[in-house]
Amino acid sequence: MAKKIFCIIPAYNEENNIAAVIESVKSFIDEIIIVDDGSFDNTVRIAQKKSTAVIKHLINRGQGAALMTGNIYALENEADVIVHFDADGQFRAKDIPKIIKPILSGEAEAVFGSRFLSKKSNIPAFKRFIIMPLARAVNYIILGIKLSDPQAGFRAINSRIAAELNITNDGAAHCSEIMHKVSEITDKIREVPIVVNYNNFGQGIFSGRGRGSGGLRVLKDLIFQKIIS
Amino acid sequence: MQQTLALIIIAGFLMRIFRQKQKKSISNKEFIFWLIFWLLAGLAILFIKQIDYFVSLFGFGGQGIDALLYLAVIFLFYTVFKLRVHIEKQDKNITKIVREISLKKNG
Repeated sequence: MAKKIFCIIPAYNEENNIAAVIESVKSFIDEIIIVDDGSFDNTVRIAQKKSTAVIKHLINRGQGAALMTGNIYALENEADVIVHFDADGQFRAKDIPKIIKPILSGEAEAVFGSRFLSKKSNIPAFKRFIIMPLARAVNYIILGIKLSDPQAGFRAINSRIAAELNITNDGAAHCSEIMHKVSEITDKIREVPIVVNYNNFGQGIFSGRGRGSGGLRVLKDLIFQKIIS
Repeated sequence: MQQTLALIIIAGFLMRIFRQKQKKSISNKEFIFWLIFWLLAGLAILFIKQIDYFVSLFGFGGQGIDALLYLAVIFLFYTVFKLRVHIEKQDKNITKIVREISLKKNG
């Protein structure tokens, strides 16, 4: 029986990108779920016009919270494979088959896209040589994660992992949290090269889009979570 | 003089928590916590000389009041941390509510 593939796209004020992103992914998956994270622009209206399922957070709760909401919805609708994809157009939809292939073949239960396994991503030098190595070190020291992309946001998981995965970091620290928790659930994890297009988005050291983003905020959330958990 | 002033301030705080208790604006637990806290602070002020001697055993050269200041800073750090944990919990609860509503609407 064919596996049902869902794509969860958290969106926060993405009226300029959401239509194109939906169009680009729809041929690779069975169902798209837009989790609108309290946008105050036309994101919801545009997504609804594209006849995709739109779940609306009343207020902005962060990307991690939106992904968790999407996971629950996907599981309730019998998803077999769940793909997490960004709404800002930085990921390439044509990488979706690559990211789900190891799950469909049973070789992996979770697959993380890595910008560092491919030389095609135009990662800004400061990010590639300063921020990412630091983030990798933080991930390793605090959570014991050894994956090459410390903030891998493009990932796929099977339904078993999704059912056991409880994302508690509402903000951007969810990336590290997911890698850590998934590695505690399974050792069938793969990394595949993906290409990321950097334009005028993404998060900086001090700020990013939506709640709980920005490099320092991620670091603070990870450390705080470690202390209180 | 400083001691008297500190004791008057503490008496003020004690009166305040008794008033809050009467108005039921704080719980029994909170009342007991703050009562013990301010009573201990009052005792520390009354026995400042003994504290002077005690802290000198640990190498603090200053007066007992300095040690109290250090304790106050530690206490403040602890309070801020507790508040942060509390806010974090509330944040998570808000997320749960928002999620529940969003899934119900789409369910």
